[in-house]
Amino acid sequence: MTKHIEHLLSRYLDGESTQEELRQLRQILSRSEDLPAELLPYREMFALLDKKQTVPSAEALNRFAGDKLQRLKGKSMGKKLALLLAAACIAALAFVLRTSRGSEEDCAIAYVGGKKIADRQLAMQMGQEALQEIFSNENQEQQLHDIFNTQ
Amino acid sequence: MKHLLITLALIVSLPLSAQKGLHINDIFKGKVVSRQEMREGIMRGDNLAPYKLNVLHTASFTGDEAERQLADRLFSADMKAYIADDTDMEMESRGGFLYYAIVQLIDTDSGLHRYICYQCKEKAKRFDITVVYMEGKATLADLRKTFKKK
Repeated sequence: MTKHIEHLLSRYLDGESTQEELRQLRQILSRSEDLPAELLPYREMFALLDKKQTVPSAEALNRFAGDKLQRLKGKSMGKKLALLLAAACIAALAFVLRTSRGSEEDCAIAYVGGKKIADRQLAMQMGQEALQEIFSNENQEQQLHDIFNTQ
Repeated sequence: MKHLLITLALIVSLPLSAQKGLHINDIFKGKVVSRQEMREGIMRGDNLAPYKLNVLHTASFTGDEAERQLADRLFSADMKAYIADDTDMEMESRGGFLYYAIVQLIDTDSGLHRYICYQCKEKAKRFDITVVYMEGKATLADLRKTFKKK
């Protein structure tokens, strides 16, 4: 008996069994009570194959496909949004840095008594006064240069 | 992104870096007298275009002998460390201390001239001190011509 089952199995696995041989094999494997232990996995295999597969309805398939599509769209939208956000952040950062650099470059600030006074005129006046004070000092050598117009 | 940020940070910090490293920064930072006791002017950019300058930083204060000595020491240290080899400078001492000085520093890589100036006038054992940092295309002769009182 076991030899017969093995023969049928061998033909089945080689893809050579006829419909009649396959029917016999299924029958023996499912009904035989003293099936050798090494053949038990084949019984389980055929039981699984024979199990009726539940086929999802067309409506369920459509719904599934719709959900998937929506999720994919959402993902790509999210990615686009993230890229846009990143670009906006870079642009904003560049603008802020550019603006702050501009203000650094074009600044005129005065500090009086520890207080910051953003007064261009006052800052300019302080700068001019300081430079006038200093450049109006003249040592003898400079006085000679000025007298003889050598510089 | 990281490289972009580093580049931007470097660009932003450039205008500030020229003055960095000078001893007189301690004066501007209020380490000789507090900033409350100081009059400080910071100008950069187009405001200074008529003077051919890019940066003008001035600080004036009245200090005692110890503060004068400290300011004098800081300015002299910069004078020794950064003075350009081929430049003319003005310096005068009165009563045993530095009275005034106009010094051109080693040029920056950008080809701009850098100057530090100092003045100390005694008034009843107190000292009116002015310190200036300048940067720009102006030569010393240009500055003298522009700012010398007629």
